[in-house]
Amino acid sequence: MMASSYNAKEEDGHHSGASSHGGAGAVKSKKPDNTAFKQQRLPAWQPILTAGTVLPAFFVIGLIFIPIGIGLFVSSNNIKEFEIDYTGVGESSPCHSCAKNFSWNSTTPCLCSVDFTLEQPFESNVFMYYGLSNFYQNHRRYVKSRDDSQLNGDRSALTSPSKECEPYRTSEGLPIAPCGAIANSLFNDTLELYHIDANGTSNSIPLVKKGIAWWTDKHVKFRNPGGNGNLTVAFQGTNKPVNWRRPVYELDPSDSENNGFINEDFIVWMRTAALPTFRKLYRIIQKKPSSTPTLPSGKYVLNITYNYPVLSFDGRKRMILSTISWMGGKNPFLGIAYITVGSICFFLGVVLLIIHHKYDTRNNSADIPN
Amino acid sequence: MAKESVESGLTWEVRANSCHYHKPKQKKSFLCFRWGRYADNLLRSYKYSPLTFLPLTLFEQFQRVANLYFLLMMVMQCVPAISSIPWYITIIPLITVLSVRGLKDLANDMARRRSDAQINSRPCDVLVSQSFSTAQWKDLFVGDVLRIHKDQVIPADLLLLCSSEPHSLCYVETADIDGETNLKYRQALSATHNELTSHPSEEALAAFDGVVLCEEPNNRLYTFRGQLHWRGECLLLDNQHILLRGTVLRNTQFAYGLAIYTGTDTKILRNCGKIRVKTTRTEKVFNKVVMGIILSVLLAALLLAIGSGVFSSWVMSHTGVLTPLVVGGNPIYTGFLIFWSYIILLSPAMPIALYITFEVIHTVHSKFIGWDLEMYWPQADKPAQARNTSLSEELGQVGYLLSDKTGTLTQNRLLYRQCCIAGEIYGDASVRAEDVEPMDLSWNPFSRGGLFMSAPRLVETLRGQKCPLSIQFFSALSLCHTVMAEWKEEAPVYQAASPDEEALVGAARELGWVFLSRTRDFIVVSELGVTRQYQLLALLDFTSQRRRMSVLVREPEGGLKLYCKGADIVILERLQKDCPYQERVEKALELFAQACLRTLCVAVRSVPEASWEQWSKTLAQSAAMETCDREAVLEKLYDQMERDLQLLGVTAIEDRLQEGVPETIALLQQAGIKVWVLTGDKKETAVNIGYSCKLLDPDTRLLEWQELRQILQSPDPGVSFSKARQTDLWVVDKERAGAKTAVVLSGLELAEFDQRPEWGSTFMRLAEQCQSVLCCRVTPGQKADIVTLVRKHTTSVTLSIGDGANDVNMIKTAHVGVGIAGVEGGQAVQNADFALSQFRFLQRLLLVHGRWSYRRISLFLRYFLFKTCSFALVHIWFGCFNGFSAQSLYEPWFIALYTVFYTATPIMLVAFFEQDVSAESSLKWPELYKCGQRQELSSPLMLALSLLYAVYTSLVLFFIPFGVFYNTAFDYQTMAVTVAMAATFTAIIEVVLVTKYWTKFNVAAVCVSFVLFFICTRITHSTRLFQRSPRDYVFIGASDKAFVNPVVWLTALLTAWTAVLPSLTAYALNVILTVRDKQKVHSASNQPMELRSQMRRGTSLRRSSYALSQGARPGRHIISATSFRSTVPTVDEKVTASNNLTRPLSAFK
Repeated sequence: MMASSYNAKEEDGHHSGASSHGGAGAVKSKKPDNTAFKQQRLPAWQPILTAGTVLPAFFVIGLIFIPIGIGLFVSSNNIKEFEIDYTGVGESSPCHSCAKNFSWNSTTPCLCSVDFTLEQPFESNVFMYYGLSNFYQNHRRYVKSRDDSQLNGDRSALTSPSKECEPYRTSEGLPIAPCGAIANSLFNDTLELYHIDANGTSNSIPLVKKGIAWWTDKHVKFRNPGGNGNLTVAFQGTNKPVNWRRPVYELDPSDSENNGFINEDFIVWMRTAALPTFRKLYRIIQKKPSSTPTLPSGKYVLNITYNYPVLSFDGRKRMILSTISWMGGKNPFLGIAYITVGSICFFLGVVLLIIHHKYDTRNNSADIPN
Repeated sequence: MAKESVESGLTWEVRANSCHYHKPKQKKSFLCFRWGRYADNLLRSYKYSPLTFLPLTLFEQFQRVANLYFLLMMVMQCVPAISSIPWYITIIPLITVLSVRGLKDLANDMARRRSDAQINSRPCDVLVSQSFSTAQWKDLFVGDVLRIHKDQVIPADLLLLCSSEPHSLCYVETADIDGETNLKYRQALSATHNELTSHPSEEALAAFDGVVLCEEPNNRLYTFRGQLHWRGECLLLDNQHILLRGTVLRNTQFAYGLAIYTGTDTKILRNCGKIRVKTTRTEKVFNKVVMGIILSVLLAALLLAIGSGVFSSWVMSHTGVLTPLVVGGNPIYTGFLIFWSYIILLSPAMPIALYITFEVIHTVHSKFIGWDLEMYWPQADKPAQARNTSLSEELGQVGYLLSDKTGTLTQNRLLYRQCCIAGEIYGDASVRAEDVEPMDLSWNPFSRGGLFMSAPRLVETLRGQKCPLSIQFFSALSLCHTVMAEWKEEAPVYQAASPDEEALVGAARELGWVFLSRTRDFIVVSELGVTRQYQLLALLDFTSQRRRMSVLVREPEGGLKLYCKGADIVILERLQKDCPYQERVEKALELFAQACLRTLCVAVRSVPEASWEQWSKTLAQSAAMETCDREAVLEKLYDQMERDLQLLGVTAIEDRLQEGVPETIALLQQAGIKVWVLTGDKKETAVNIGYSCKLLDPDTRLLEWQELRQILQSPDPGVSFSKARQTDLWVVDKERAGAKTAVVLSGLELAEFDQRPEWGSTFMRLAEQCQSVLCCRVTPGQKADIVTLVRKHTTSVTLSIGDGANDVNMIKTAHVGVGIAGVEGGQAVQNADFALSQFRFLQRLLLVHGRWSYRRISLFLRYFLFKTCSFALVHIWFGCFNGFSAQSLYEPWFIALYTVFYTATPIMLVAFFEQDVSAESSLKWPELYKCGQRQELSSPLMLALSLLYAVYTSLVLFFIPFGVFYNTAFDYQTMAVTVAMAATFTAIIEVVLVTKYWTKFNVAAVCVSFVLFFICTRITHSTRLFQRSPRDYVFIGASDKAFVNPVVWLTALLTAWTAVLPSLTAYALNVILTVRDKQKVHSASNQPMELRSQMRRGTSLRRSSYALSQGARPGRHIISATSFRSTVPTVDEKVTASNNLTRPLSAFK
């Protein structure tokens, strides 16, 4: 089907060229070498494409893309996802008061709880995300505002953080650990999930907080200065970020593998988002060994320790529960895009076919008089 | 005296033998200050000295806007507040570019220095205190007296004082000045001749204290005005007394001269145009596009900066975690910084790698030209050479070919090929001269070979003395000429002012009529071994009006004979009535014309003694007349004598063309190239060559100056032009008339263009409709002016081709200059961009290399633009979603590696190897070349389309991943890897679509680029590098995770596919619409190339001419020079000097 010509041109006269070189003897001839490269006669494959080879490509691509798109769309639709906005914008929303009366310096945490109902049970592992909107975590000055050497446990960087961290480099004369705007704006709401069963008792759902960060981040990129031993000593001489309530070595005092710079909530936050509306993995709800769904349908309560202000920049906070498939979370866009592009390919194929047909007949008729 | 000389414009004063007078006035320079008057004789074509190299080269390089731009980028990247990507990403390529360029320039300059040194150290004999000592050219000084040996190149413009020959005549070859290889004579003033040759020359010369007052140095090669003040006398000097630098002394043992102009003051160097830096048209268009890109980048950066300011003030109006993002709490200041950051971030749209790659590609193309066996000339062991490596694509767009004639189109060898005597045609011109079977001429002791005519029948007739006409015919050839014989090794060697005459006399010699010698009054000829002495009674000179010459001789037997030779029209109308064979001769003339031979008619007349006596009396009377009348009277007198002629026969001379010239010209014309011929030769010769090299067809209408002038002066030149064509008698087919007109101009006529600049554009419009334009008698400067005219009034690329020093200026002026590496004189090649050994190689240079090169470079530029812009513009769209903060969507390392590592090799190999059709097909289908002339592949529109496509691609590259990653848990680094992957895939798919010629290297390069992306990405994301420098390799682990994520892959593939979809559609559309033509070209390998014969038999125009290079009557010099009686010393030297015309007439006294 593919019309092609392979013109391995013969290197004719190569031998005669060589012999003349020999004959020249001491006087070096300036005669160019008769090689395929120098004579631009390299054997080459020159595909001669015809309408017969080009047009099917469009149909084939179309026919490949559309099923992929459908597959993606279906598997995306099979993913169960539940999203709830708990910013507290509306007067009636439970977190309204917390949102309104926010202050970084308040010592007493503001608590609020949101009720919601899952219509369908969530099977398998359920991932719990927090989502932020209108939060420019990809702003250059924000993205730059960190010191990877410090986060990697470098002692000199711990005491003298990079200039990139300004204005969150030092506070009260002491270097900040971890320095920079990213760390300073660490998401610090605490979310707890309770299932209200049929008789009204609320059962706390175990939320696994480890395994949410990337392996390389946890084990290579982020390291505590001087190992995971006594962090209080290690971080001596540094100050906590301005907006933080606790120093970095108290992020998770119960687990030394999850404390300090290698606290997974912290690591997840430090992996900045690509776009201003994003989600970050918060907790994993592991599936139960029995056949009961991880989250059966029914009523739930989300208890929030409301620490993180977003209203000031018109942001929103959400909590998302989602199952995952081979393609990760719910993503209808990719499937639709595949179907669209596949259809366009197919359509272009048809248009080209028509053009080809018309041009061909016109050309044929024009050829006859010749 | 001084005052007087100032008034007459003669302000240049040279005192002979007075070094101390000139030395303080020597031209000197320090930095940019220059003082002094007289240039030294040092040739300085180099630019740099060790001290000035660095600043000069940097200055030159930063004149390139691009380099300056990159320097600015680099400086900006060093400012932490705005640096959006690290500084080292730009400095490495910038330094590479600067040093590569600088070293290249340095190497060129060194080569120039070497060749300068070689010329400067040539030896010459300078008179120092009464004896000649050998000095070098560079030591020469104004006022020095020099001795020039035979065959020596003259080192400066000299005033000829005297020579070893009688009358201080000397001969020079001016091949390097006007391309003519025949000899010119120069004669010293009789005053200097008489005084300086009488003594032992050294003493007399050392005592010579003349003062020359002349014009300031200028570039007029054919004129000179000056005075020699010596011994209280004022002698007028003109061009006859001057030996120009660059000419070669011939046939003269010694010549003594006084240096008047040296070094840069000499006429030949004044004629060398300035060194111009040539940039190709594509490069110019591309530079404009680059400027456009830079402006767009600035505009985009401005808009984004405004966006940033707005965003910052929005942030300011809200309290929150992002407040510190506004620098110093000032949105305007933030916006200002962001502006520069975006300029840096968007600068990869115009990458520095482009210029490096561009250079490399040009170099490789030049190498290919040098490597081409088809352009290798084994006889001289010379391959083609691309001396200027950056013009190769210009060869693919040539619209005007301006060619020199002598040595370029012709070999400047005239061969006697045929003759027609008494109606019998001898010889066969259809056999190539090389293949002619040599005749047995061993019976002739004077035979020296060189007759390319096989006519045993003629020899038989001659030796048998069967035909009185043929005997007279050869007598005529051996008598009627102005050739001089010089005896060398017992045989005469002929020196002629015209190569035509040399060929004729030479042919007569071969056949037994040997011209042995001449004195003023006698010509000695050996006729078949019998030496006969003819008395020369009168020599009726050749002029371009008369187009004939005659000699009146008294035969040894006592009879008076007038032998005449000349152009056919002139001779045929002067024949006696009922001349036999006239019809057959006319038929022969036509036959010769068809074979593109130059013809001359030979005729004889027996003159009665009485009529001669009367005639000579009248001649003597008229000789005493006033100048202006005399010319007319002489004309009339000559006319009286040259009538009632008896036609003897016709000679046919072939002006040997270079091999393959007609075919090449025909092919180039088919390719749409206009071929013009610019020559220093006579009009007749030029037109003749025009016919024989198929530049003009036999039915081409020649439009000469008078007619052209009328057309140009008329209010509507276009209409007049078509009218002029339609009244044409020869044009049968009126519709084709346009292509069948050629303009013939001469140098003097061209000079009028200087006064009437408005004619230029009109003329070019007319010339565009003409088949060709021939310019004759043009100086090197005028050649360049014509090139300038074409350049100014058309948008086409001009190519000049020539072989001599007289072509240097035009070679330098044209867009592309090609030098023919001839047998002698390397000046043209030195200044040319390309050097070829043969004119016919031009077809391969243009149609194959030029076409390929143009195609390759256009593809390369468009692809490169697309690739880099689509890659960089993504940041604009991303800017809208990151608060206009100049955040890069790519990892810094990817930005650095993308243009160089991941995408450069495949397109570079395309630019090296791409062939849409093979070399054979390119030559078979010259029409394919027109694509380059119309700039189809590199027009601003095409480049703009590429840019538009790049914008589309950048939109796709950003928004599809945006849709996928919006509101998901994917982080910035994953998205960066995805977009990078998509961009690389797009670039690779696009190059796959561009490549039509898949060598193993292309396949390998595509695969390697693909693999390299993954390898390098893994490396820069590796743990090891991160641990070495955590701040520089923050993408650790991003690709490990991304490359196993199906969503990343699906997104990248979809993005890449969507991005190339328009290109693919255009490709398919192209395949569908043009597939037929392509198949035709590819499958047409078996059809032999047919040279369309544009000759039309029957309508052919006879061409009979006779050309002398030095217009004015050569006869007088012959007579005066060879007479051993000194010319009558005239009292008033002034009159003698200014009015040479009195002299020939003295012969008749």
